[in-house]
Amino acid sequence: MKTELLEDKKHIYQSMLAQNVQISYTGAFDGQVLSVIAKNIEYSLSENPRVNKKMFKIFIELAQNISFYSHEQQKASDGSISGIGTLTIQEFDDYFTFATGNITDKIKIQPVIDKCNAINALDRESLRDYKRIQRKQAPSEKGGGNIGLIQVALTAENPLEYRLIPIDETLAFYIVAVKINKE
Amino acid sequence: MEDLIIEGAHDNFFTPSVNFNLKTGICELSGESFLEDTVEFYKPLIDWLESYTTTVKKPIAFIIKLTYFNTSTSRCILDLLNVLKDYEDEGGEVVVNWHYDENDTDMEEDIEDYMIDTGLEINLIPF
Repeated sequence: MKTELLEDKKHIYQSMLAQNVQISYTGAFDGQVLSVIAKNIEYSLSENPRVNKKMFKIFIELAQNISFYSHEQQKASDGSISGIGTLTIQEFDDYFTFATGNITDKIKIQPVIDKCNAINALDRESLRDYKRIQRKQAPSEKGGGNIGLIQVALTAENPLEYRLIPIDETLAFYIVAVKINKE
Repeated sequence: MEDLIIEGAHDNFFTPSVNFNLKTGICELSGESFLEDTVEFYKPLIDWLESYTTTVKKPIAFIIKLTYFNTSTSRCILDLLNVLKDYEDEGGEVVVNWHYDENDTDMEEDIEDYMIDTGLEINLIPF
């Protein structure tokens, strides 16, 4: 049932991101999948190692967010649980876009949306200050530093774009995207 | 107390190499850090440094050669550096050298942010 929801919303997501797709994946964000996609990004996406490194760093943070926080989950045979979501990398003349989507609980996502807005309102120096303040606080229950999205914006050097597509009373499809300039 | 040695690995997750030497006080952390359980990995490193700085009390040269670390690791590095700063404040001798790719301006910013956060002097060594 839940996967059907993702399949349904994925059409909207894919129509938004139909052009120039370089890498696309939908499914569980487990360690093995992360590893394969990470290698593709790190070594073969562009000829500019600086851009590849940025894409790789952004990938790890966004993929980890799906793995930890997606409403849809898959349990592997070893008992480990990974979130299910979707990822698309597009290439244009001057930039790449990196987008991830996953089903989320509307109430749980609100603090994330608030954080996106806070991040987008800050210039780079203020964003670095914000990251340091957040990092000093106690780690989240997943061991994260609560700074993944801040790091994504700093690494991309562009604002975060997000969208929430309502599914029903409680669930929504959450998309976050960011541009990475080629130079 | 013994040396703390962990061999790095690059498989599904990225385990950094650790070589904390009891005799020389040279403690090196290198490679890439993206772990399944970051806190569990770094706890023995923090415990080792706390033990060294309270019992051995000799100079420490802390060498970082990480080419990549994720944000969960970023918090643990802060914890490691804070142990070193506390030691320095109590009169311990601490040198921190951070080697980084000169084209990696994001890494340079990260190191600067650690200096601001901890008050430790970190020698930036581009390669």
